[in-house]
Amino acid sequence: MHAAEIIKAIEPLKGSVVAIKTVQETRPLEDFADAFIAEINVKSASKVIKALDSAFPRDESLPMSHLRRFAKRNMIPQELLAAIEAVSPPDLHDGQTLFVMLPPPLPDAEALRKLLAQFAPQPRRRNSTTPPRPDPATSQPEAAPSDSPSAAQASTSSTSPEPQIPQISLVTTRVPIYPPFNISQADQWTKTMWPVVFNPAAPRSNVAPPPQILSRTREAIEPRAGHFLALARKVAEEAHTSGRGRAVGAVVVDPAIESELESIAWDKDSDPTEHWMDAVVAVAGDVRYARLEAAHKFNETNQTLGDETSQTTSGYNPDIEGGPDLHALMRAAEFIARRRRQEDEELAETPEPALPVVLTDPQLSNQLSPLESYFLNETSRLTLGPEPDQWPTSNLSPKKRKHGDSGAGWADEPQVSSCSTAPSTAPSGEKNPSARTEDGSCSAVDCNGDGPSSPGSRIRTRSEGGYLCTGLDIYLTHEPCVCCSMGILLSRFRAVIYPRTGRLPSGGIASEPIVRPTRDEHAPKEGEHQGEHREYYGLHWRKELNWRALGYEFVETELNEAGEGATALTKDGSQEDVIFHA
Amino acid sequence: MDEAFSEIEITPAVSENSKHAQWMKAALDMGEKALEHGETPVGCVLVHNDKIVGRGMNDTNRSMNGTRHAEFLAIAEFLQSFPKSALQSTDLYVTVEPCIMCASALRQYRIRSVYFGCANDRFGGTGGVLTIHADRSIDSAYPVYGGLFQKEAIMLLRRFYIQENTKAPVPRAKKHRELNTAFDQVREITATNGVEVLPSSQ
Repeated sequence: MHAAEIIKAIEPLKGSVVAIKTVQETRPLEDFADAFIAEINVKSASKVIKALDSAFPRDESLPMSHLRRFAKRNMIPQELLAAIEAVSPPDLHDGQTLFVMLPPPLPDAEALRKLLAQFAPQPRRRNSTTPPRPDPATSQPEAAPSDSPSAAQASTSSTSPEPQIPQISLVTTRVPIYPPFNISQADQWTKTMWPVVFNPAAPRSNVAPPPQILSRTREAIEPRAGHFLALARKVAEEAHTSGRGRAVGAVVVDPAIESELESIAWDKDSDPTEHWMDAVVAVAGDVRYARLEAAHKFNETNQTLGDETSQTTSGYNPDIEGGPDLHALMRAAEFIARRRRQEDEELAETPEPALPVVLTDPQLSNQLSPLESYFLNETSRLTLGPEPDQWPTSNLSPKKRKHGDSGAGWADEPQVSSCSTAPSTAPSGEKNPSARTEDGSCSAVDCNGDGPSSPGSRIRTRSEGGYLCTGLDIYLTHEPCVCCSMGILLSRFRAVIYPRTGRLPSGGIASEPIVRPTRDEHAPKEGEHQGEHREYYGLHWRKELNWRALGYEFVETELNEAGEGATALTKDGSQEDVIFHA
Repeated sequence: MDEAFSEIEITPAVSENSKHAQWMKAALDMGEKALEHGETPVGCVLVHNDKIVGRGMNDTNRSMNGTRHAEFLAIAEFLQSFPKSALQSTDLYVTVEPCIMCASALRQYRIRSVYFGCANDRFGGTGGVLTIHADRSIDSAYPVYGGLFQKEAIMLLRRFYIQENTKAPVPRAKKHRELNTAFDQVREITATNGVEVLPSSQ
């Protein structure tokens, strides 16, 4: 079938897009340290803060803003309150008190007591019936760091045994030194340790993507994600039936074109998913077996080759697996790079034969499958009808919109600065949609795609601000292997999306096992059989790494009879239990 | 799988004319070539039966492909003359600790062992950030030895990063920077994370 027909016939996957948590979220950094709690006169709260901040300057590197400085009696966890009341019985003073927390690192206890003495609770009036005050010397010894989060130890001043009231009693308790990740964690800590504030707007620094960017991007990709993943499966099928590789496919999408499609659809009041294929800038299939085969074999009957290699897909044999540079993702990145190299005239004029690099084609990027070739070379323009008036003007060019709308720029991305120059080049630039449509339909363009000035590609050239895969999204049939996952970051993709059924224990993106309702016993038990036997790297967003991408899983609502999505395309189901690198 | 390391002997002291030194110098030469070509200066060689069978240097700028690291180029050259399975009896000498991507690729390609110069605190996949060479995986683990000609590898990188990146969208002026030649701030490569430490090259 011709590529265009395959694309036309694509039935989108149905389901929803969910964000993949970061490993810092699934395995949160928790650490606890001792804090001092003291009971003070409620009227002196602001003076106490002033006195404390000047006497014990806060550690800037450990902001404890998630811990409340003050708490009323009814906010204190039971166990802590019991420890406090053991050394500072509530009936000794007038009841007008508040509790102040001094965060770690702990200051000298004696200095703190002296400082706070003037703010001690007011004693109860003399004429009231005051029970005999317990001797402080008999209470627990000097504050010692407690070793469990829930344990609280109490101490009182042992240096002022004379019954001089008021006096400050210090109690130590464990507090979390990092802010909570969510409300339930904050509640848990508040109930067991000390009142904690959850601030969803607080910068979680590098621990997780900003929630608004994560959800905005999710909303933007969800309408067409099923289409792109269905296309990825077609590419995978092509790779598998050709015998060149495993059934793994990749689809690279430019979200800037997507948002352009959205705005056009909005203007025309049409279906914004109708022209989904126009946002695809490249597709790539796995070719891990192709290095073993002579290149010409690919042009022979696909059926024969398919049979030859069908055995290889039924197991994992490292000797015939090719290498990760033949994986779909790596080839997709290379397609885009190759396109730019060809378009970069400067490079073409100054070849460097002395360059000690391999000049062959290690990733077989010159051997394109029909679908690969179609999207790299043959689709030169958006397939929308020839209605130039409907096209947005140049200030809605992809680059412009990208930064206005899709919110991709959290790293030092080169386009941020090139953005300002985009409108001036757009009228004659290849990316200008009106220039593309003015001479007719898509099929009228006849280009071999290899020429340095081929107008066919949707890949932004370097002069148009294209740099690696910055700002692009990659849709994959499977969770990419560790190597490809890091390749996504090094290529600066904006987001990676794969179907949840495409998870692999060898993958580098998932951050936790799937928790599945057991209602449907025919549902794939992926979480069960893979959960304990894999690493969860969550490479898409790790605080240790310089580059990060958004990660999403596509959760299908309508699986086919076998209950399998990605693996079903081998038709014999042989791939179901094979663990390989995608 | 993880026990495999304990059975590997710790490499004998590296003298100027030892084989390890010879191979790492060849890798440093590749790093120099990368520097000459405006690439981040990382170089490597693959050694099979006491012969260099593949050379690589970082090629991301020229290729405009952020995944074209030295290791991939060396393997590509290797595969022109050898089957993939021969990598099981091949060692890699690379000036900088392999990144996470390359650490995984080397494991999938079943490299025998990896010798590196300086650690990679930002992206390192063999102890720097993650321990891809030793983690649970469907491919067997490989031993890693770090710290071989560490200072030379670092000086290559410093000579690169002191340059102004004219290709950057907003080139940062670095006129007043001087080449740092001190090593007191350099993190020592410790024998944790399954990385053996080679004796210093001096």
